[in-house]
Order: sequence, then C-alpha cells, then structure tokens
Amino acid sequence: MNDTILKTENLVKTYNSGKIKTFALRGVSLEIPRGTFSCIIGPSGHGKSTLMHLIGCLDRPSAGRVFIEGNDISALSNDTLAGLRARKIGFVFQFFNLLQNLTAVENVETAMMFAGISQRQQREKAISLLDLVGLSEKINAKPSELSGGQQQRVAIARALANDPNILLMDEPTGNLDSESESEVLDTIFTLQGKTVVIVTHNTEIAKRAERMYYIKDGRLAEQNI
Amino acid sequence: MNILKLVLKNITRKKARSFLTLLGITVGIASLVSFLSLGSGLKDEIKKQAADLGANLIITPKGWCAYEQVSVLTGEQLPEAIPLDDVRKISAIKGLTAVPYLTERTAIDNSPVPVIGILPSQMKVFKGWVTDKGDFLESDEKSIIIGYGIAQQFKLNPKDELTIRGERFPIKGILKETGSKDDIAMFMPLSVAQRLYGVGDMVSFIAVKVDDIAKTDEYILKIQETSNVAVVSDKQLLKSVLSIVGTVNATLQLTCIVTILTAAFGVINTMMTAVSERRREIGILQAIGARQVTIFKIFLVESGFYGIVGGIVGVTIGLVFSSIAAAYISRNEFTAFLKSPDVAKGFEFNLVMGALFFSLLVSLMSGLYPAWKASKLSPVEAISYE
Repeated sequence: MNDTILKTENLVKTYNSGKIKTFALRGVSLEIPRGTFSCIIGPSGHGKSTLMHLIGCLDRPSAGRVFIEGNDISALSNDTLAGLRARKIGFVFQFFNLLQNLTAVENVETAMMFAGISQRQQREKAISLLDLVGLSEKINAKPSELSGGQQQRVAIARALANDPNILLMDEPTGNLDSESESEVLDTIFTLQGKTVVIVTHNTEIAKRAERMYYIKDGRLAEQNI
Repeated sequence: MNILKLVLKNITRKKARSFLTLLGITVGIASLVSFLSLGSGLKDEIKKQAADLGANLIITPKGWCAYEQVSVLTGEQLPEAIPLDDVRKISAIKGLTAVPYLTERTAIDNSPVPVIGILPSQMKVFKGWVTDKGDFLESDEKSIIIGYGIAQQFKLNPKDELTIRGERFPIKGILKETGSKDDIAMFMPLSVAQRLYGVGDMVSFIAVKVDDIAKTDEYILKIQETSNVAVVSDKQLLKSVLSIVGTVNATLQLTCIVTILTAAFGVINTMMTAVSERRREIGILQAIGARQVTIFKIFLVESGFYGIVGGIVGVTIGLVFSSIAAAYISRNEFTAFLKSPDVAKGFEFNLVMGALFFSLLVSLMSGLYPAWKASKLSPVEAISYE
C-alpha cells in the first residue's frame, strides 16, 4: 500500500530582514509515500533546505500546513515537535553535526536518551547500529579521530537510533571526498523500508531515487514520480 | 548516556574555565564558612570567658571605651586608674566581695604574656583556684604563680625563675587548668606588681561578686555613691563585647557574600559563553529530539554543578582553614585568651548544610538566565550557526 507519510499544503516560508521580506518557499505542495526513496533537487539557495527543515519539524511555516502520517503538525507545541523529532524523524546533515566532545557510541546514545530509552538498551543498540554502518572498531573514537565519511556514517547510525519512520538527509555527501562519498552512499542504499528524503546535488543519488522533486525559486517546479 | 554524563562531558572539555569558575565559588564559600565557624566559636568563647570571670559586676574607671571593656575579658594591659583606697571602700559595702586586678604585660621568649597583680588569698576564694604543682602565693611575697597553659607552652615548673622588668621571680606554683584566660596569665601579689610597674597604689579594675543577685541595681548605686567609678554588670559587659564581635563578624560575612555574588557573575559569564559557543550543539540536540525543558535542564544542572562542587570544596577548605587559623588567632594579642581548639566550631551540621544550600542556590540562580536563553534558541537558527 502506498499511503502518504509526508504531505505539505501550500507551504510558504518568508524571512523578514528589517523592511525587506524574502520568500524562501512560495507555496509548495507535495506528497511523499511511505517507504519511498525521494530526492529534492534544485539550485542552491532556492528553498530545498528550508523545505527539509519544515517537513522535519525544525521550523514553522509562515503559511500552509505540514502533515506527518496524516496529522497536521503546524499548530503543535515546541515540545510536541521535539517529541516527534525524537521518535519519528532521523536527520543527517551535510556537516555531520556530531557532538565533538562525545565518542561515536555516545553520539548515537544521546539521540536515544531523548526518546527515553534506558542506558543499557542505549549502549546495546548504539553498538549494533555502528556495526551496521561498518564502524564497530571505532565506537570509542571522537569525531575528530574519524574521517568525514566515518563521521557521516556515525550520523546515519544516530539518525537510525530511535528507529524513525522518516529519514531526512540534507546533502549527506556534499562535504565528502569521492572515497568517503561512496562509503556513505553504500550505507544509505542499504536502508530498506524507511522513508528517505534526500536533498542533494549528487546525480548518483538522484538516479537511484524513486521520486524526484525539483525546487526552483521557492516553488515545486517539477516532480518526477 | 544521561543528562549528568552529558553535563560532565561539557564541563571537562573547558577545564581551565571550569576550574576558574569553580574557584570563584570555592573561595567565596570557604571564606564564608571560615568566618561563620570562627565567629560562632568566638561568641561562645567570649560567653565562657565572661562566665569564668566569676563576677556579677565590673568596676572600671569612668570614661572607659568599649575596647577597654573588651580587654577586661581578654586580659589585655589596661590603664591603672582606680586607687586602692576605692577598693577598700567598696569592699566595705556589705553583701559583696570585691577583688582588684592590675593587668600588666611582660614577655617570655618574645611572646606577650599578661601579668596580673592580685590579692592572693582573696582571689583564691573568689576564683576557687587550685594548684596543679607547687604552692599558692602568700601576700606580698616576691614570687609568681602561673597558669596551666603558660607552664605547658614554655615548659615551666615550680622553682624555675622568670625575669620580669629586670627582676627575677621564682615560680611558686602552677594553677590547675581552668579553660579560661587564667591559663595563659601569670599572677603576682598586687603590691609587688604595683611596685614593679611603678603605678603607685592604683589598680586597673575591680571584679565584684554580690550575695543577692536580685539586689544588683542597689549595689551599683551604693558603689557609685562610695566612689567615682563606672559600674557595669557582667551581662552588660557581655552584651557590649558580643555586639562588637557581632559587628566585626557581620562585616566579614558581608564581604564573603559580596565575594560569592562576584563568583555568581563568574558562573553567569561562564554559562553565557557556553550557550554562545555551543549554539550549534544546542541546535543538534534539538534536531535529535531534545525538548526545550531538557536543554534548560542541561544548562541548569551544569551551573548547579559549580555550586555543589564549589560548595563541598569550599566548606571543606573553610573548616580546615578555620581550625588552622584558630591557632594563629590565639597568638594575636587581642584574641590571645581564646584557646585554639575551641575557637573553630569544626563540623556543624547546620553551618555545612546552610553553606552548601547557599552555594547551590547562588549557582542555580546564576544559571537560570543562560539556561532559559539556551532553551529558547530556534533549532534551525542554532543548527545553522557557524
């Protein structure tokens, strides 16, 4: 069954800088079915990341609505949104965004702490996830001791920590050399059954996507479904 | 992972800054605890000394200031201003016993020691003194008896000789320990002291014990009719001394509180810097599911940590310092009558818990604003921060 897990309706996002109003999104409506691998592509600065932040509950739209699993999240409180991020959404960012003073395993555990998982379970699951992304030898390494590709794989393990239904990735290979990029892509393509939404310029990722959304000038210019 | 672990990881990564912040709280609490401990011990000791004086009334020359009143308790050298004739007249009043004191000073091995001229037989009865070694003084004989503490400190025994103002005095006896300032003084017959110090027939003050405490006011009037002197009751004396000590204590404690408040600004500064430096991390924590209240808690626990650890270390240092300082205080001329082991109060549950609570409260209050600031950051803005 191809039910919709993510849906946006006339999503508008504006930023006010003094008297100047800048439109980042100008009414984007899209639907992403559960379990699909989707890409958001488009030129830099045209609203891809803003769209990602809105569907990931990191920001609120200026107008329009976001639905996750059929529920309108636009009016939810900050804490309820945080709860949604903890349980239903996993993020992977371009610049890894790992906590630098924590080891790989502690970075993964931290995500589980916010979902209320016990410390013993945290450790077990974090180790198995790091094993899944091929980093079982590096569980006690700090981010500064890891290559870019390894750091991004730790970030993927962290994103998977609470077994979320949705994985949102913002340029996951955008900051990697080609060797690290292929390591990360291998990891991403092993993710079966998850709804994966990737903002990317990477053609290899785009080619593998089941759905493609092209964002230009803050609008959904084209979609390839 | 839990919040406490996360907080400890955050604190330990900027070791120097955390240490300096902690030091501020520690110094403030340590000084507060020291002064509270010493101040409370000081008050208790003064009350004890007043009780050991064994007098209901103190007769002093008119116009003595508070310092001289304090010196009655401390055994400091005092001006000799009451003629012996007045002592005789006052002694003649029925229902009271009056003993004169001539308080002077000498030195043994360069340490100042009070020399007190007394009427030996009267004083023996008045104070209930008993000798530990040797014999008691006879009137007008040229010898001395010494307090237990002096004998211990300078390893003196009966028949040893001491030179006071160029004259040699044999030690006739050593008093049993009294726990009062008498332990650290030397005593000689009043007439011998008057001659030795060239004060004519003057004495410094007179201690009076009355038979009927209910008639104290009546005795005061009678004494003042007899001689041109000032009379103060032991309670008034104690009150005035305690009020001086209390004022000094309050001033010192206020200084400590200012120090702690300064340290509180140190905590605020450290936490605000941490919020600013960790802006991106706060965004990451929010992105992976941290609620606003959790971010608030993380920063508040961090500032509370400074209060708890700074408080524990400060209390420990304060108690150790006050017990060490007590020994030095006893060497000070003004406070020499305070015997070192008793001045510092040592572990007092209320003092320790109060100081810890205060330390925690100050640090938590200091952390409120930075923690609130951190919790109110927008996830997108925080995560985009570079």
